[in-house]
Amino acid sequence: MTAPVLEVEDLRVDLRTPRGTAHVVNGLSYTVGAGETVAVVGESGSGKSVSVLALLGLLPARTATVTGRALLDGEDLLTMSPERLRQVRGPGVGMVFQDPMTSLNPVLTVGRQLTEGLRAHGTPSKAAARARAVELLGEVGLPDPGRAVDRYPHELSGGMRQRVVIAIALSNSPSLLIADEATTALDVTVQAQILDLVERLRTEHGTGVVWITHDLGVVAGIADRVLVMYGGRCVEDGTVDDVLERPVHPYTRGLLGALPDLATDDDADLATIPGTPPPPTDLPPGCVFWPRCPVRGDTRCETEQPPLAVVGAGGRALPHRAATWCAEREAS
Amino acid sequence: MSVLVFSLIHLVRGDPIRLALGTRFSQETYDALRERSGLDLPLVQQYLTWAGRAVTGDLGVSFRSGDTVTSLIAERLPATLTLALASLLVALVIALPLGMLSALHPRSLVDRLATVVSQFGISVPDFWLSIMLILVFAGTLGWLPSGGYVPLTEDPLGWLQRLVLPAVATGVVSGSVITRFVRSSMLEALGSDHVRTAQAKGVPTRQVLTWHVLRNALLPLVTVTGVQLAYLLSGVVVVEIVFSWPGLGQLAYQAVRDRDFPVLQGAVLLFALVFLVINLLVDLLYSRIDPRIARR
Repeated sequence: MTAPVLEVEDLRVDLRTPRGTAHVVNGLSYTVGAGETVAVVGESGSGKSVSVLALLGLLPARTATVTGRALLDGEDLLTMSPERLRQVRGPGVGMVFQDPMTSLNPVLTVGRQLTEGLRAHGTPSKAAARARAVELLGEVGLPDPGRAVDRYPHELSGGMRQRVVIAIALSNSPSLLIADEATTALDVTVQAQILDLVERLRTEHGTGVVWITHDLGVVAGIADRVLVMYGGRCVEDGTVDDVLERPVHPYTRGLLGALPDLATDDDADLATIPGTPPPPTDLPPGCVFWPRCPVRGDTRCETEQPPLAVVGAGGRALPHRAATWCAEREAS
Repeated sequence: MSVLVFSLIHLVRGDPIRLALGTRFSQETYDALRERSGLDLPLVQQYLTWAGRAVTGDLGVSFRSGDTVTSLIAERLPATLTLALASLLVALVIALPLGMLSALHPRSLVDRLATVVSQFGISVPDFWLSIMLILVFAGTLGWLPSGGYVPLTEDPLGWLQRLVLPAVATGVVSGSVITRFVRSSMLEALGSDHVRTAQAKGVPTRQVLTWHVLRNALLPLVTVTGVQLAYLLSGVVVVEIVFSWPGLGQLAYQAVRDRDFPVLQGAVLLFALVFLVINLLVDLLYSRIDPRIARR
């Protein structure tokens, strides 16, 4: 692994809500290397999106408290001045949001929305920015970019819009690309095209990628490493093979069990994880997954938080880690 | 619309001829006048005659003064236009900064203050506000005249002095309504995904606010401003009377008092027309603001 582009250490996000303080992200740590893709998976409400919005200071300042460290090329995003943070948004980190229908401004042309980002980061002339915008639209595979540049978002399909959003995110050649459920709203064929596109850009530009999704199929296709989030914590991480082939945490096992398998049983019921995630305003004192856990194999589960510990063979550069008391029990 | 106006007016009790003639007149004069003004004809026929002329721009002749209704309206139009535009200016000067500040700092002191002020502006009757303004600025302080109107061309300073109080009285009311709209539409725009996209691009805050928040909050704003302008243009009757402002509102009021049917019909028809035209203009403006509405 090369030098990390992003190092997140003990990231915590609290949101003030009418029902009390919600502990949405609770001590999240991970690194992303150059040219590496890290997938962050988990159910809705597990804190995936909030954790990346917090990195870029995109949470409402009135209600959100963010602590920890997030080093982008060695510089802490969380303590930056607003002006420095603005400079980093774009050339440092490009972001693709979930819904291409709403993440573009309906009253401005595609070109205008692209050039705006370019000109905010030093492309001086209008003409140069426009030429670059056309080039970018071509790069993300938009047909007839010369004309598309003057179109409004409503004149494009969902897939085309998402390409535009990706073009915007990549316009300033960021060292890190964060994609938050970027393909969830798209149909499968378009999704595959977008994944190919990101894969190509990653290998060509050496961009680090954080891919947030709840689609494990996508994870298997593009990620180098996987981070499973539950209740605002990382409950398991490791290489794709480790996590998808040899899951340790009962939650990860549950997630994988909930995948329909076309190859085997045709009539078997789909495995589900009973219950719902704990409300972030009222997290259990022990393992966050305890209330829904089918195993509950240890006396400490209910009272003591399991640390994220190496499982399986240690001493590797990319260890397989899980936060569960079960692993220990299985090993012994 | 014109049928409604016509029927409503003729439902009003009172004989215009009798009112015009005063107390001493002969039956012959009365009958002659009645015949000349066409009031002896059946109502349907009266309407058809009136409507037929109205479409050619002939709104008839005032029972009271004998002048044509069009000339009477034309005479009053500049005063009403002046007041309406000045009021709208006052309204926007109040509403835009106040609404924007509240939206940018929701639940702050400014926001709470703006809510109180706009709630006051919406609830307070305009005649009461007018009287209070006169009492304070014309009475106690003696800074401004209490009413009247002089054309701009004759006495610019006097024109301005007489314009201030009525413009403030009507502008505060309209401004309060618009403030609410500015606040809510800005808040909605602020919370939208594309604003977050713009921020994530690293676009400077000022630019995000103008191009992604204000620009998108404009649509509902144009609508409500159009409605307010139409309301102001159709003669703010009470305020015009309190300030003896010789506008269309006052003309309509006098016409009601005198049962001057042609004048009243003409004025009300004009008000309806103003609403139609402004709504059309607002719709046309939409397509300039929002490309999704534009014709291909």
